[in-house]
Amino acid sequence: MQKAYKVEDDAIIINRDLTELDLFVRKFLEVLKKHSDYLIVSGFVSISTGRARGTEDIDVLVPIMDKSKFGSLLKELQNNGFWCYQGDKAEEVYGYVRNFSNVRFAKINEMYPNIEFVPIDETKKAKFFEFTHPQKIRVKDFEFKAPPIEFEILYKEMVLAGEKDIADAKHLRALFSELIKNEKFKEFKKIIMQDLR
Amino acid sequence: MKKLKNTDYVELYAKKLKNDNSLFKQQKMLIESQLKASSSVFRNMFAEDNFKEKARAYLRNIGLLQK
Repeated sequence: MQKAYKVEDDAIIINRDLTELDLFVRKFLEVLKKHSDYLIVSGFVSISTGRARGTEDIDVLVPIMDKSKFGSLLKELQNNGFWCYQGDKAEEVYGYVRNFSNVRFAKINEMYPNIEFVPIDETKKAKFFEFTHPQKIRVKDFEFKAPPIEFEILYKEMVLAGEKDIADAKHLRALFSELIKNEKFKEFKKIIMQDLR
Repeated sequence: MKKLKNTDYVELYAKKLKNDNSLFKQQKMLIESQLKASSSVFRNMFAEDNFKEKARAYLRNIGLLQK
């Protein structure tokens, strides 16, 4: 019997084997990272740290990019076995990205799981803050960037606030009770409130 | 006796998991069985030829894609 996690060089190391869901996300990130920075938020953060529930989509924040850069990313994703729900050509899909609408990617001949690609910029205060303050999480050799745990908890409690989100927040609060800091809750609450006004 | 809510179970599970990583094995089984089930449902719904077109038509019908 071992502990579920430890902290090493500012990264939270989760002590478990990789799942098929991790492999899917890792494959997507391998391509995305060549073109852009990113942050994984919401359900996958809870699930990757042990929350016992399934998910259909993995939310990934990505800074807004121009059409040409998006076209290169789309092409490389397609060459690596992904398809985009919204279309096959950059001309079809980029309109969604430009308008800050989410687009989704899944593996060819699959619908789920899918990546919900969430374009952001600095006008999205809370999202941009978490994006610029990432927490590294590692499972075996798979490392990804997530929000600070306190931020993720508050965002689920204050903004998303569905039954599933409240349960996810409760999971994170209980699992990381020794890591989370009250002063960070105070700091992050102010930032999230800006988006709620 | 107080009736436990769903979130109380979530909290109990997380507290137990914190010191017992063997629970991750059950979680892995749960996640992978859900993935397998959902994959099988949609493969049956949309045969592999024209999967994308059929999937997009379905997504338009349920409002996830613009018409």
